[in-house]
Amino acid sequence: MDITLFTGTLVYASVLSLLSLGITLIYMTTKVFNFAHARLALVGAYGAAIAMALYITHAGIKPNFEWRTFGPLQYRAPYPASVYIIGFLGALIGGIASTLVEYYWILKPLQARGADSLKLMIATLAYDFIVMAFLMILNTHATIVHMLRKISLISTSMNFASFDLAIKTPGGALIRGDHIVAPALLLAIAAGIFVLLFKTTMGIKMRASIENPPLAEVIGINVDRIYAISWIIAGATAGIAGMLILLQPSAGGLKPVSASSPADEIVVSAFAGSIVGGVKSIFGSLGGGFLIGFVEIYVTKFIAIATGYTQVTKYSKVISMLAVAITLLFAPEGLAGIIKEGRLRGFLRRRPRLPGRRGR
Amino acid sequence: MERAILRLENVNAGYGRLQTLFDITLDVPEGKITVIVGPNGAGKSTLLKTMFGLTTVYSGRVLFLGKDITRLPPHERAKLGMAFIFQLNNIFADLTVWENLRIAGHDLDEATLKERLEEVFSAFPRLKERLNQKAGTMSGGERQMLAMAIGMIRKPKIFLIDEPTAGLAPKLAKEVLLNVKKLNEQGYTVVLVEQNVRAGLEIGDKGVLVVNGRIAFDGPAKDLLARKDLARLYLGIGG
Repeated sequence: MDITLFTGTLVYASVLSLLSLGITLIYMTTKVFNFAHARLALVGAYGAAIAMALYITHAGIKPNFEWRTFGPLQYRAPYPASVYIIGFLGALIGGIASTLVEYYWILKPLQARGADSLKLMIATLAYDFIVMAFLMILNTHATIVHMLRKISLISTSMNFASFDLAIKTPGGALIRGDHIVAPALLLAIAAGIFVLLFKTTMGIKMRASIENPPLAEVIGINVDRIYAISWIIAGATAGIAGMLILLQPSAGGLKPVSASSPADEIVVSAFAGSIVGGVKSIFGSLGGGFLIGFVEIYVTKFIAIATGYTQVTKYSKVISMLAVAITLLFAPEGLAGIIKEGRLRGFLRRRPRLPGRRGR
Repeated sequence: MERAILRLENVNAGYGRLQTLFDITLDVPEGKITVIVGPNGAGKSTLLKTMFGLTTVYSGRVLFLGKDITRLPPHERAKLGMAFIFQLNNIFADLTVWENLRIAGHDLDEATLKERLEEVFSAFPRLKERLNQKAGTMSGGERQMLAMAIGMIRKPKIFLIDEPTAGLAPKLAKEVLLNVKKLNEQGYTVVLVEQNVRAGLEIGDKGVLVVNGRIAFDGPAKDLLARKDLARLYLGIGG
């Protein structure tokens, strides 16, 4: 097995999983598909890059690319851990801030004017373009470009991959920091959300507010605040996804960060993850995103090998879209529905005959 | 005259731009059952929802215990001691019975919650047997019990109940109204919207007839039952 492909896919799948989670959370609370979600992750990536650049420049930290030994392992850690922690915080701030701007300044005012979910959806698309333009300005802003250049995060395609922790095993395999951090973060977030939803009063409040907002409101729950918390979780996970994108070399399905890429492409897969997961299930979305990550890359790879036509990898999103079509046809409630009911629905079950017209 | 716990003064209200209530002035007496009746679409439920801030109030005032609550959001009213029981979807179907009760008492401390749960279980022993069951899998009558229990946990000063018997079999409907009467005997003030006019007014102290978004009668429930003219015109019960 190609270990590089596997580890790269693992990170890609984790990123998708985090994004699908946010899309699902926002859909469950506000009943809108957030088309801007992957762009919010990019704001997180920019937040991380700028925070790290500022910190490195101001603290005068010099990278150290030497290989060091630790027992049988060799490793390279160019920067101290504090740099990554600062980057992580920058990603969280970027993700959360851009999400809250969307919720409080765009969607809530529109809702107050009586906009339906279709109008809200178009508004998220508009916000996506606005943020893209904003990132392009950032991208070409002289001071920032200069700052990022100084630590070799070049302006048009930021990438922090070469600064990532790297470990060489005695067998010669190379493990990068994000190969461990991405799935570990995903597991930690999934566990955290499980505890939040099922073991805390806040979690019961969230589930109650999602299931029956008017009833939650009349028993004294501030539903607006609960929804804002859901948006904050969605924004934070998007920011973390952005940081992971930043750490990733261009292999394995993720491209270097710029204002438009990879948001335009990854958002498709993240939506596919949300739908395959079942749209109305938080844990379904985590599983759906992860599954889509692996299916997209491995199926494309398989087709490329089977047909000998390597250009097919350019069309990997088709696989995601096929997964969406198959899900909607055979298991409309996605993974969550399959697990809950233990079977596939749709075509496999005889459809009830509509009354009237035929049959008389 | 008894104290009015809730008062509406010249209230004009509706949903969005659609006004359905016109110049409503109404007192809800403390410790009594006030029954709101009227033809379909007259604005009975709207009136009840206006008391809880679930509609848009264009003008007028809503007072609870003398405090102006006209602009207060529903979750704040709940904290002041008001409880609202919806006609439909009045429980969290995906949560267990225990989670329903836990969430209803979300701002109570453990000791108080335990105490209140005991009170609820003595009123509705059947709920205790079903604590770990998903609420959505219970029967219609049990759901109504849970809905009332959700309201009771917070020991509200007033219960606003929207058509609790709608869609229930006559025998069950009678049981539900008996439960409402029991609530009142425990000292709770109740405002009830009821489509079964006679059964509703029989357990009520005060009767309010709403027609076309205005109050057509406001007085003792037994007087409203005796008004044959109104009964025939608006309530579909003859002579």
